Amino acid sequence: MENNKQFLTGHEVVVQACIDADATHMFGYPITPGTEILSGWIKKCQDNKDLHFLQTEDEIAAGFTVCGALMAGSKSFTATAGPGTVLMQDAMGMADGMRLPFVTIIAQRGGPSSGTVIYSQQEVNLAIHGGNGEGLRIVYSPSTVEELYVLTRKTFNVAWEYRFPSVLLTDGYLLKTKQDVVLNFVGENVEPKPLVSEHTQKNIRNIYTFEQELMDELTNQKQDFDEMAKEVTEFESYKVESCDELIIAHGIVGAAARDAVDELKKQGKNVGLFRPITLSPFPKDELNKLCKQVKKIMIVESSMGQLKDLVKQNLDTQVEIDGLYKPAVGIETEEIIKLFK
Amino acid sequence: MNIKILLSGDGGQGIQLIANMICQAAFETDFHVTAIPNYGLEQRGGVSLNFIQISDKKQVYPKFTKPDILLIMSPQAKERVEEYQENGELKLEIGDYESILKENNVPKQSQNIFCLGLIAKILEEKEILKKENIFELLEKKLSTKPGWEENKKAFDLGNTL
Repeated sequence: MENNKQFLTGHEVVVQACIDADATHMFGYPITPGTEILSGWIKKCQDNKDLHFLQTEDEIAAGFTVCGALMAGSKSFTATAGPGTVLMQDAMGMADGMRLPFVTIIAQRGGPSSGTVIYSQQEVNLAIHGGNGEGLRIVYSPSTVEELYVLTRKTFNVAWEYRFPSVLLTDGYLLKTKQDVVLNFVGENVEPKPLVSEHTQKNIRNIYTFEQELMDELTNQKQDFDEMAKEVTEFESYKVESCDELIIAHGIVGAAARDAVDELKKQGKNVGLFRPITLSPFPKDELNKLCKQVKKIMIVESSMGQLKDLVKQNLDTQVEIDGLYKPAVGIETEEIIKLFK
Repeated sequence: MNIKILLSGDGGQGIQLIANMICQAAFETDFHVTAIPNYGLEQRGGVSLNFIQISDKKQVYPKFTKPDILLIMSPQAKERVEEYQENGELKLEIGDYESILKENNVPKQSQNIFCLGLIAKILEEKEILKKENIFELLEKKLSTKPGWEENKKAFDLGNTL
């Protein structure tokens, strides 16, 4: 047995990643399937007096408390899910406007409304575009428990390095999965710093008097975002060399798709996988490069087509699009294999 | 090798407890373990499932459609796992052991431990783990709690069938 092998749930891995990222404050309101992130963090606070938490009266309060703590320079975060992700948009929208390094862990569950407490991939749009206006956010979608660790660490780093609100978009399946894992992250933590120092005056705004002022600000933000995208955009291309057909999937469905590709290759079928790891910024260039070589793409997701919409927005290549869209239910490897019979 | 085990029962029957025992014992071997619970909003009375994979290769996707071992501990659970039942898997249905459980006075609250004994035996035959591995964990967890003697007997009974 490897010495550093541990048997952990996704929730436990996320909490460990937040601690290892040097996060110090969590503000949240419990909601399934993300509750164990809050309760796990609270448990850690009992042993480590450098860690702090506040369970607020709702997600709106949690989100704005994160905004305040961030401005004071504390590495703060929240975790939420489903209807909680909707309430969180108010504070996330402020973070969009003020470019706060706001870290949210979203545990997707079924919707609309309370839906199910288990699983979905239906919060992609909310994670990327949930605020009013056109806020720019970095959104990671991990596919395995070990990747959950790495990407949680990265979410904090990119938030503080580039000062864009950053989301770790996961789901109830990945968080509840218990698995033998080896947690490993290469790189240093980005240091937090107060956005306003004690004896200086600085006006970080989320409201403008003139239309032109806001447009100028948003134009600058977009330029910074596009510049950042060159550094941050991530994807996985799996067995895509000279493939004829390409599966596109993200998050945990991406893990099922990877297994499906292995099986399909054994059956002599030339199918590869493209998995965006950052849903925002989206790996557009790589998608288009691959789409030039394939006859067909097959989008597989646990929603009615939120990934499909993202792909279509980014696609400037003519290619046949097919897909399997199963809102709020898991998609097993066997089902993906069947698509290529 | 990838052994897929689907445990199903009513909430409160102790499905998650026996799942944890199996997974923890398997984790302490050289095999990879992936497990995911599944239950709804109910605190009690709903169907409780756990999907377990014990494998020599890491299985990253936690769910599956074709279990090798399927445990069914209630009629409600049987209905819920209907789509997972097909010829070929080893099906362990509590109903099939009714007379044995009655003859040996196994109380209802120890039936999950009886099933754990059954599964421990199968996993030992498959050379995945030894029944002692599971029994030690069980002892650690339950030996100071009421009903330990009954649980111990239930485990042994399942394990010797």
